[in-house]
Amino acid sequence: MIREQETTLYLGPQHPGITGNMMVKLKVKGDTVIKAETHVGYLHRAFEKLIENRNWLQSFTLLCRFCVPEPDPMELTYARAVEQLEGREVPERAKYIRTIVSELARIQSFLLWYGGQSGSSGLYTLGQWSVGDRNYILDLFEDLTGARIYHMYMWPGGVRRDLPEGWIDKAYKTMDYLEKRLTDYNQLLFDNAIFQKRAQGVGIIPKDKAIEWGVVGAPLRGTGIKHDVRIDEPYEAYDQLKFVVPTYEGGDVWARALVRRDEIKQSISIIRQALDKLPGGSYYNRIPNPMKWTVPAGEAWVKTESVRGEIGFYVVSDGSNKPRRVHLKGAAYAHGVSVLEKILPGQNIADVSFILNSLGVCPPEIER
Amino acid sequence: MSNFKKETKILKSLKDVFEIKGSVKSDKRISIKADKKNVSSILLFLKNQKGFIHLNHISCVDWIEQNEFELVYIVWNPKTRLTVMVHTRIKRDEPVMENIDTIWDQANTYEREFREMFGIEFPGLIGAKEFILEDWDNIPPMRKDFNSQQYAIDTFSTRPGRENAQNVREAIQKRSGEEIPDFAKKYSRD
Repeated sequence: MIREQETTLYLGPQHPGITGNMMVKLKVKGDTVIKAETHVGYLHRAFEKLIENRNWLQSFTLLCRFCVPEPDPMELTYARAVEQLEGREVPERAKYIRTIVSELARIQSFLLWYGGQSGSSGLYTLGQWSVGDRNYILDLFEDLTGARIYHMYMWPGGVRRDLPEGWIDKAYKTMDYLEKRLTDYNQLLFDNAIFQKRAQGVGIIPKDKAIEWGVVGAPLRGTGIKHDVRIDEPYEAYDQLKFVVPTYEGGDVWARALVRRDEIKQSISIIRQALDKLPGGSYYNRIPNPMKWTVPAGEAWVKTESVRGEIGFYVVSDGSNKPRRVHLKGAAYAHGVSVLEKILPGQNIADVSFILNSLGVCPPEIER
Repeated sequence: MSNFKKETKILKSLKDVFEIKGSVKSDKRISIKADKKNVSSILLFLKNQKGFIHLNHISCVDWIEQNEFELVYIVWNPKTRLTVMVHTRIKRDEPVMENIDTIWDQANTYEREFREMFGIEFPGLIGAKEFILEDWDNIPPMRKDFNSQQYAIDTFSTRPGRENAQNVREAIQKRSGEEIPDFAKKYSRD
């Protein structure tokens, strides 16, 4: 007779499921999860409070640090929110450069995800490859912005610098290289029997509940629902570029992985189109002296599609030289707490990290 | 307004049922102001009758000058792709707001955060009292009257030997004998 007893298990705060620290308190019976509870509080850096004491431009050094694997959508969203408050126009060339940078940021984050998702199922080789290839994207960022991870490049009114000489050519070549590499990645991950068996039918999000639960991004499209901020409320140059939003049925880890696999190809295609169509002209609509710069009173709610899903900034100005309130809504806010707590019961302990990775949970977004 | 047909229709249907002030802010954006008693009914009406099934965000702003907190509920309709922002104000002296985690489960996370960061009470809220902070006995830190710089000075001690080096620029100047350039003096944070 097998004796089964309920036990409490603390997964984390450091574990392979996520980038950052977050604990999942599991109640288990045998190796099956009965109840899960998310505990955060290991990473709180009070960014939103600190931003309130800095001027509109100084906030950028903090903003991009909200989520390490994906700093660029934060800059872009905040810059767009400030532009909305001010009614500031962005030159056409800057819109295209912003689109290219956003998509490059998506690709580098996808490549990190490849490493995390395969690593949490024991396939360590792929992570070494994809993180190695990610460096080619970071090289492009370094040439363009001077930094590899945190760029502070997309500012209100446009971008900080124009594309350096030879950058476009290098970007085309990098895209060609990555496209070839994707075939290798996909053979290693998606043709692998272990990954197929571990991913299929695991961590299912029901299609009829997904939107109501606050699921966004690839997990939502993995349930067969087609929503993407880039299409729903197009921003920058997305309305002038052709791309497909991939969807898969099932709502499990497998479907989410397939969505991401197809999205990288779309990102490469978007970058090529944007580089082809890149207009000339100014790249920056100059802002006044940042130390004396005041933004008209009002509120703005702006959304952007990141790799983990929709992120938004609610920004309030009282007409002074500092923001009254900057509040981030990250994709992980629902994914990492309420959605996770709902889908974990009934799953195997070994699959918890695997599911966390597929949801794209980024704890610094939960506690800003 | 003829361009905003869908938006105006939603706004009118809300004004027919509830006592609200509101306007169509821009394409796909409707902003309304309501009394705190009506907020949960408005959200329920938007969710069940008008298809705003996705809760995008809940935010809180401290308007200390008016002695009020402003709560903003942002909901989205996946079919029409419209966004409604419901604003309400509550008194800072008695910060109590209706709990809406029965309408959307994920509201529970926001409310637990606001309870901790702004000190707003949501009667009937389930969930551990401590969400992000641990053993916090000061005023809720996201309130405007909480001074984070003063808190850091009061709470943390200086590294021995660095007591006189609080102002980094001054300390460097004293040690090296170099002048602080004018632009640095002008834009000093103090």
